[in-house]
Amino acid sequence: MSNKKERAEQEGRRDFLKGVVLGSAALGSGLVTPGLVIGESGKAMAAQDERVKMAFVQIQPHTVSSAWSVGLEEVLSTQQTIDYQQLDGQNKVEVQVSLMDTLINEGAKVIFLQPIDSVALGPSIKKARRRGIAVITLNIDASEEHAAHVEMNHYYGAMDIAKEMGKRMGGKGKVAILNAPPGIIIRDQRTNGFVDGMKKYYPDIQIAADQVADWSRKKAQDVLSNILTAQPDITGVYGVNDSMALGGVDVCKQKGILDKMVIFGNDGETAALESIERGELTGTQFTDVYQQGRFAAAAASVFVSGGVTAKEFKQQGKLLMPYVIATSETVGSIQPAQRW
Amino acid sequence: MSKQILLEGRKLSKTFGRFVALQETDFAIHAGEVHGLCGSNGAGKSTLIKILTGAHRPTGGEVHVNGTLAPAGSPLAMLELGVACIYQHSNLIPALTVLDNVFLGRPPKTKLGFIDATEQRRKAEALLEKYNIDLDLDAQVSTLATVKQKEVEILKALALDAQVILMDEPTAWLSHSEVRKLHDTIARLRALGVGLVYISHVLDEVFQVCDAVTVMRDGAVVWNGSIDEITRPELVDRMVGNDLGEASRSVAAEPRHPKGTGEILLSARDLGMTNTFEDISFDLYKGEILCLTGLIGSKRTELLHSIFGSAKFSAGTLDVLGRSVRYSSPSEAIAAGIGFVPEDRLRDGLLLDHSVSDNLIFAALDKVSRWGFWNNRAVRELTERQIRDLNVKPADGSKIVKRLSGGNQQKVLLGKWLEIEPKILFLDEPTVGVDVGAKAEIYAILRKLRAQGTAILLVSSDMEEVMAIADRIAVMVSGRMTMTCAADDITQEELVLQISGGNK
Amino acid sequence: MVRLRQLPNIELLAFFLLLYAFFCFYAPHFNTASNLENLLVGYSFIAVLAIGQSFPIMVRGIDLSIGSIMALGGMVLFDLSVIYEVPGYVVIPAVLLVCLLAGLLNGALVVWLRLQPFVATLSTLAAYRGVVYAISGRQLFPEMATRPITDPWLTGMDSYLDIGGVTGLDQYMEMPWLPLSFFLLVGIFIIIQTMHSKTQFGMNFKIVGGNPEAARLAGINVKLTILSAYGLSGLSAGIAAIILVTRLTTATEALGNGMELTAIASAVIGGISLQGGIGNAFGPIIGAMLLGIILLGLTLLGISQFVQQIISGLILIGAIGYDKLLSDFRMRKARAMQSGS
Repeated sequence: MSNKKERAEQEGRRDFLKGVVLGSAALGSGLVTPGLVIGESGKAMAAQDERVKMAFVQIQPHTVSSAWSVGLEEVLSTQQTIDYQQLDGQNKVEVQVSLMDTLINEGAKVIFLQPIDSVALGPSIKKARRRGIAVITLNIDASEEHAAHVEMNHYYGAMDIAKEMGKRMGGKGKVAILNAPPGIIIRDQRTNGFVDGMKKYYPDIQIAADQVADWSRKKAQDVLSNILTAQPDITGVYGVNDSMALGGVDVCKQKGILDKMVIFGNDGETAALESIERGELTGTQFTDVYQQGRFAAAAASVFVSGGVTAKEFKQQGKLLMPYVIATSETVGSIQPAQRW
Repeated sequence: MSKQILLEGRKLSKTFGRFVALQETDFAIHAGEVHGLCGSNGAGKSTLIKILTGAHRPTGGEVHVNGTLAPAGSPLAMLELGVACIYQHSNLIPALTVLDNVFLGRPPKTKLGFIDATEQRRKAEALLEKYNIDLDLDAQVSTLATVKQKEVEILKALALDAQVILMDEPTAWLSHSEVRKLHDTIARLRALGVGLVYISHVLDEVFQVCDAVTVMRDGAVVWNGSIDEITRPELVDRMVGNDLGEASRSVAAEPRHPKGTGEILLSARDLGMTNTFEDISFDLYKGEILCLTGLIGSKRTELLHSIFGSAKFSAGTLDVLGRSVRYSSPSEAIAAGIGFVPEDRLRDGLLLDHSVSDNLIFAALDKVSRWGFWNNRAVRELTERQIRDLNVKPADGSKIVKRLSGGNQQKVLLGKWLEIEPKILFLDEPTVGVDVGAKAEIYAILRKLRAQGTAILLVSSDMEEVMAIADRIAVMVSGRMTMTCAADDITQEELVLQISGGNK
Repeated sequence: MVRLRQLPNIELLAFFLLLYAFFCFYAPHFNTASNLENLLVGYSFIAVLAIGQSFPIMVRGIDLSIGSIMALGGMVLFDLSVIYEVPGYVVIPAVLLVCLLAGLLNGALVVWLRLQPFVATLSTLAAYRGVVYAISGRQLFPEMATRPITDPWLTGMDSYLDIGGVTGLDQYMEMPWLPLSFFLLVGIFIIIQTMHSKTQFGMNFKIVGGNPEAARLAGINVKLTILSAYGLSGLSAGIAAIILVTRLTTATEALGNGMELTAIASAVIGGISLQGGIGNAFGPIIGAMLLGIILLGLTLLGISQFVQQIISGLILIGAIGYDKLLSDFRMRKARAMQSGS
């Protein structure tokens, strides 16, 4: 960026620039070069006054993605030079891809992405990386290498869920899984973790059913109803997210078998925590999603201020969130401010 | 006749169920001849034309082209044999150019199968020159005046090397000067040896352009010969026939009630509608049947719609039951006591897929319902009474209307309107496509209504019908009311002359 | 000269250019090579869908099932390529065949079962989507679901031509890389436009839509024409599926959901009259690109996506209203002429 252009751009900045120029002149340098300014300090960074654009492309409006956005904004808003924007993928792959293209064109520095499909967004991520844009995926990893991935610790969390669940079932019985649609890595992680956990800690417990319920409470009700009709001896239900687990609670309540059932969810949204407090849902993996958003934002800040570009990432950074297995005993320890 | 016979129908018959539309008819067209085809509505002209163009398959008889037998019931085959028809309603594609329309469906092609635009244009230009027709080949058809569109259709026929062109009421939509242009074109075609069939109700035109005339009545040819051999009154006489139908006769025997009880229910003064009709003034009296007659396109239907509120008149005043009104929707007219039996019963009047009962009650729902709910007994009673009174066959209220014969459909439609007991009833061509027996019954119903004091305004193009049931007659020609008189003061011959544009 | 005067959609083209200029001035990053690239890559396949959609509309019908046909084609492609590892040069014709058949089935329902096109294609919209879930290799083999398509024939579909680099023009200005799908679109445009203006087959759609009775009397096979209209619509959905799926490197079950509305909107905006009988291949392309620049431009202006959806709806209403206005005008003019001048 040339000196001339800067002058033309913004009147109010001129005085500050003058100071910098003077300072630089004192150092024997007649010109303000961008490289010089970046290297010096956070203040000089602001002096350059280049707005940094960051955006979050979500799947569609949902409690989890809203909470992430709150966490992201909390951190990013404290840094005056960052423009943050939340965009809606309308649950359509092609919309997310098109939004990615637009953001790349706009010269966004960081894109937070909750991909609808781990594979389908791959080419867009690759394109972003080519242009030096850092893509940080939230929860749902992508098949293409990217800057960083911040997740709820799906695999190990699911193992712990299996451990807790097996204990409550007395080490035996049958379990049904209400699963997410295939095509996203999170599904594999949360399912595999659970299955591996059961195998490791309670090998006598049998996984009797594994059906797709599309993340949805309504769909889960129908699916579990059918499963229980076919296999009435099932006593454990694992919902790959809380919505589906709560759908399971609905069915068991209606059939009057809630007492005998051990039902676990995953995520830890407020509705699930309240259900645990009422003694309906047995437990869930709680993650502080605000915190997750803040972590992602912190990582992003490092990328833009630390002089690290996405191209320099040979290996993708991976950040696993701390979690709590929330049950009737532990749920009280989760602070109201952490709930989302 | 010395000239070559191009197209010949031998002993053609056509029946629809029990209805005989055409019986053992012979018909021949010679090269270089304009052949007039006359007859009142329902005489079988259209049926004959449709058989000759292959649109209908005849029940009996043969069609010969140039002396060889033509396959029956194939429009494509007849086109290929050079028999083309210009129907009353346009068969052009408005969004395409004249050139594309002329070669519609059969353009010249290049070796690769593409449309050969150059060849197409060359051929069309050659035709334009040969027949001395003036058309812009690149103009979109939708932008052309109606007479030009007729010329496009003629050109389309010529492009097929048509030897015979049938024209069904080609002048119905044309203005006076346009008719002359069309007649010039026809004369040129005749000079080049094309055989033409010219169907028209306008006898002036028939005497102007035709060399020979065939007169049809009741599905048969009643006269056939050179135009020189017949005078206009004789022609009218043959079209009308000496024996009116039994039904008409019995109605004709009824005393007429011109001006009914003398009380005016509806009075129109100087009604006009832009580009449609103008200066229409008439009165409609309680207890009379006023027949509004004229040629197709004389804007009678439009007049009814504008009074009824389904269209709007742009000039003049209308008084109904002593109050000056201008209905903005049919529901206002119905509320004021006007009933309307539209021309196209299939489109405007009946719920075809519903039962007789549903159709009878839907205009009179408040009579059979209380607090918005139907009273099933009232529905049943109403249906039974109407079916009995109207003599609907079969006498079954649950019968689907689509399955009834045309006459019985019309009776149901009438019954629907009778149920709201209109003070004034409009009917638009109520007996088109209805057989003789049902016609008589419909006439009887109309008479009964008249006796009850309903004022009836009936649009009809059927002269016999008009002469049979009218108390008074009004004639419209090209959007103007040219005559009003008591039915007893006019003969059918005089009426036919009036309709075709005055006595000349 | 005559041809130029009759160039259709001249107002639309003008509006398109005007709007493009507007966004260039007011929307940041709009007037860039990479934005043009985004437009071409993101909307070429929609333009293909819109061209396909124009055929059913031209014969007075509509095809609501194209989104589902797209998903069907996409899933067949995924299954064959990823699960069965069939080579790409076999997969592409297979996908096109499946989509053509799906379209022809729509046509058969309309022609032989005499179903209303709206009802027929609304039913197949649901039915084809069901088939997609039933044959989904992602559901049957969840472990394969996160594997991208790698067949070089298929991934080659998503390649770009650096036109600036090839011609050396990029020394003077930044040139967009043109996606293969754009060249595909240009090819389809040339073929379809030639078909419309130079062949009997293409002309028949306008004739049948303009006046079915006249078409019958002119010896045109009306049923075959309607059948092929739906077949072409299905086929174009297949082409669009190949473009989109090779770009995403995978297919999803929900692919193309709601795409029919975008395609219909593009076609109608492009001057394909819902009254039938009118149309060309150029209008739908401009219609699709117009929708594209509006959505891209509004996003770059930072306008909320909910507002964007409202605006797209309003544009569609405007286009349909304009279409209705035009046809009313035509009818009035015809009437005025009939009453004699």
